[in-house]
Parts: sequence; structure tokens; C-alpha cells
Amino acid sequence: MPPFQLVWRNLTKRKARFLLTAGSLAIAIFLLCLLRSLVVALEAGVKAAAADRLIVQSKVSLFVYLPQAYGTKIAAVEGVERVMRWNWFGGYYQDQGNFFAQFACDQDELQAIYPEIQLVDGSWDDFQRDRQACIVGEATASKYGFKVGDSVPIIGALFPKTDGTTWDFRVAGIYKSTKKNVDDATLFFHYKYLENALDSGEGSGPAGVGIFVVKMSPGADRTEVMSRIDAMFEQGPQVVQTTTEAEFQAQFVSMIGNVPLFVSSIGGGVMVAILLAALNTMLMAAREQTRDIGVLKALGFGDGVVAGVLLWQSLALCAFGGGAGILLAASTEDSVARMLGTVFPGYEVTAGTLWSAAGATLLVGLVAGVGPALRARGLSVIDALRRTG
Amino acid sequence: MGALIQLRGLVKVYTRGGETLRVLDGLDLDLEAGGFYALMGPSGSGKTTLLNLVGGLDRADEGRIVVDGEDIAAMTGPELAEWRAEKVGFVFQGFNLIPVLTAQENVELPLLLTRLSRGQRKEHAKSALELVGLGDRRSHRPSQLSGGQEQRVAIARALVSDPMLVLADEPTGDLDRKSADDVLALLRLLNEKYGKTILMVTHDHAAAQQARTIVHLDKGGRLGRIEAVR
Repeated sequence: MPPFQLVWRNLTKRKARFLLTAGSLAIAIFLLCLLRSLVVALEAGVKAAAADRLIVQSKVSLFVYLPQAYGTKIAAVEGVERVMRWNWFGGYYQDQGNFFAQFACDQDELQAIYPEIQLVDGSWDDFQRDRQACIVGEATASKYGFKVGDSVPIIGALFPKTDGTTWDFRVAGIYKSTKKNVDDATLFFHYKYLENALDSGEGSGPAGVGIFVVKMSPGADRTEVMSRIDAMFEQGPQVVQTTTEAEFQAQFVSMIGNVPLFVSSIGGGVMVAILLAALNTMLMAAREQTRDIGVLKALGFGDGVVAGVLLWQSLALCAFGGGAGILLAASTEDSVARMLGTVFPGYEVTAGTLWSAAGATLLVGLVAGVGPALRARGLSVIDALRRTG
Repeated sequence: MGALIQLRGLVKVYTRGGETLRVLDGLDLDLEAGGFYALMGPSGSGKTTLLNLVGGLDRADEGRIVVDGEDIAAMTGPELAEWRAEKVGFVFQGFNLIPVLTAQENVELPLLLTRLSRGQRKEHAKSALELVGLGDRRSHRPSQLSGGQEQRVAIARALVSDPMLVLADEPTGDLDRKSADDVLALLRLLNEKYGKTILMVTHDHAAAQQARTIVHLDKGGRLGRIEAVR
């Protein structure tokens, strides 16, 4: 093992250079963690999707609505236990900047089809009884200060009120999801509230159902159920496409492009940049320490030990910078999640992300250190001592 | 005492820019254990090259170098490094202390290659620095020491692992007269009191007079005369 005192002293000999390089590594590793966490958040819904839920949507597009009557027909399909209508509402609270998802759904099916939605305040009974009741995820409730019993006026964008007023909801419950396929930022309300308003002309917007969420009977064959539903509407009036919940979630991720590839490209660029910064620092350090390398060799330190002095410097430099970046990513998780808020729910810096960042740090340390280390290893004592610095 | 160092038919050739330079040309020389030798000669006579070959820092093109019964020319790189750590202490003209380490840490460096405990290493280094009169400068960095003090630290580093042979390349070359005299007095002490064999390259006649024997090399790396001084 190399003399670690020497490794440490050489590393901190030029404090400004050490701090600047370590600082740039810290920022780069923090960025890597951030980007990775965004991808993880995007993919979390796909990974956590329930196996017994199916989504029925128009085969043409998610934005083509299905006839209301499809619900009854789907419910009659063998292997289907429950069906729920589900519409994207697309409103905002007070100001367009206050965005969070709102869905109209069959309130009497929601709890049974989505057992992961757990109320932490309020009651399901209250939610069922009052047509204007809603339940709100705790992230949104916390952000806007919503409490059970509060009135929440939502301005309809996709479904505006014809008299220009707001849709008024009353908070009957605050929920927290036990799985990542449902975020804690959504507001769910009665489908009938929307349906009645549209029927009466109180509200305007596209008629029909956005999607049907199907819960399969225990033991039902998923492929068969999907085929039966699709076959039933083969002749229209709207041809449907039944997918698993995971496929449906993946569809959303792919709608904003190949995010993992995009993020990986940025991450790759960041990696190359920090590698060059670390390599530059190590090359300068190796050049400055050439005579010291000669002295160590003259004193009897082996080539491997001398090479180790430089390799450990590189690893230590990266460990400091990368470690700081990892700590920064872990310690700012809540702040970043709050900042991303309901626009990007589910931000979480997972242990996997932190380990990946640690791996990237180690890789940069090795790659930046191996060149100078090999050079030091191959340098003859005479040549090294001849250098003036 | 018998010959500690036996050099036989030593040849060293450098090739630079297509030109071949024969620095040592079949040198034969015996150096006895416990001797203090000053190696003198004009530039290009191969003094430093000879010192590097004897210290195992460089390889001869031809010939044998037997030190204390071991043919170091036949050793592998790692064997030679181990041999240097155990048998040789070096003192260089430019001191060659590691600038980021304190005097104490510089002197401790060779001891990292021994089995001594951390406490023992510290104690040995402290003793070596006290021997060279720098017990109160242990925590100073090289940049905080004068040239003479730096060279004394280098001598402490050379002797701390108790080598049988000390090789000094122009140890007074960068020093003023007073500092040079201090350094030479120390080398004499190492030789006379501690029995170290010393081979010192120097251009300085006054420095050479401190040795017991002066070995003159002629230009072209041939042995000149051998002169007993004291």
C-alpha cells in the first residue's frame, strides 16, 4: 500500500485546484443523481403497476373518448370483476401555475380497484356520500394547505363551466399511496359530478369516457380478458385497445420522448466532462510529482507502490468530489421533490441511484488515475530525478 | 576489511540523438567496507553514472557490480528496489526531499518499507534528526528549512534505515561553505563513528579532502589514480 500520508498531502497541496476539481465532481455527480432520479420517478409507475388491472382506451388515441355504454359491456366480459370510468379533468387551482392532476372516476369503485390509495385523514364514506366530495393526495394537500372539509375551487380548462365559474369540490379525505403507480399529488372526484354538469349544460367539454379501468377476477387469464374486450368492440363504433396498467403507464413515459435515452445522453456528457476535469488534474499532479516519484523509487519503493500513490490520489479526489455530490443528492431529496412538486410527483433518490453514482465516481477515479499511475510505474529513477518539476 | 564493492569491466553507453557516448569504459575498481571515498574527475568522466550503477539506480551495459557479495547487475527490478531499501542510503545534490512532508515524515519514509511499528518509526526518525542536529525542526517542511538544514535532513533520511552504504552525489554542491562543512562533518561522523561506507561524488577539492580516499576518474570513464587522503 502506498504511504497514505503522502497521497493526502499531495492531493491537498494545491488547495484551490483540489477544491475546484472536487467541487466540479460534486456538482456533476449531483446532476447524475438528479437525472437518474427523474428517470426512476418516470419509470416507477410502470414498475409498480398492478398485474390485475387493465386499461381500455380508444385504439385511435388516448384523446378519443369512448361511449358510456361500453362500461356495462366490459363489466359483462368473463374475467372482469370491476369496471371504473376515468376521465382526465385538466383544471387548475386559482392560477394556471397551480397545476396538479385531477381525475373524475366512479367513486364507488375507486377504493376497491385501487387498494393502494389509503386515506390518512377523512373517510371513504364521506367521499361516497357527497357528489362534490373529493380526495386529495397528501403532497398536493400539503402544498396548498388543503384540509378535510375545505372547499377547493378548480377552474376547468378542458371542461370549463359555461357560466365561467369554478368547479367546487369539498375535501372528504387526504390519501397517501402505498405504491408508486399512484402518486400523492392527484385529486379524485365523482364521475357523476362531471357527467351531470355536462348533461345539464352547466359545463362543457368532450363527451364520453377517457378510459375504463378494469379489475380482473382472481385467476383470470390476462391475455384472454384483453382479447375478449378488444374483440367485443372490433366493429365499433369506437375500436378499443386494452393494455396492462404497466403498458399504459409506459405509454405516458414514451409520450415525452425516449426519456431514458435522453437523460442517459446528458449523463454521459456529464461523465465525460468530469472525467476530463479529473484527468487534467491528475496529469498536472503527476507531472509535478515526477521528482518525488524518483525519490520514492530510489529509496526502494516498488513500481507498484509508486503507481499506487497516483492512483490513490485520483481515487481520493473523486471520492471527495463524488461523495459530496452523493451527499448533496441524498440531503436535498426532499427539497428537490418539493420544488418539482405536483408537476413531477414521485421524485426519490433511491439507494440504487446512489450506488450508481458511487460506481460512476469510482470509474472516473480509476480512469483518471490509471494513465498517470502507469507513467509513474514505467519511469526510471534516473529520468524521474532528472526532472526539475 | 575486504572489498565491499567490486566493479569489474563496467561499461555504460548512452545513445542520444543517434550519437553513442561511452561514459564508463571497462572500469575495474574495489572499494573497501568502512571506507570514505571521494569520486572526482572532469565532466563526462562518469562519476554520477558510476554512483547510480553502484546504488542500483541504473543498469550497466557490461560488467559486474558485486556489493557485499551480491551481484546487483543480475537482480530484477523489484529485487533491486528491495536491496536499495535495505543496503543503500542516498544523499543528492538537490536534497530531493518530498516538499509536502515534514522533516520527520521525510526521514520516516524509508522506514515504511521495514517491519517497524509506527511508534518505532517515529522514534528512529526522531533519533536520526537529533543526530544531524535538527531535533527541533522535525515538524518543519523543506521550504521552511535552509539549504544546509535540508541536506542534513536528507542525510538523516539516508542513515535512518541503517544502510551499510551511503552514496552522496555532490552533497555540498548547492551549499555555502559553512553549511557544506557541517554536511561533510556529518558524513565523516557516519563513517568514523557508525562505520558506514561512503562514496561521494564531488567537484570540490576541500570536500574531497574530508574523505579517506580520492578516486580519480579520467574523461571517457577510465580509472585514474587513487589517492589516500587521511
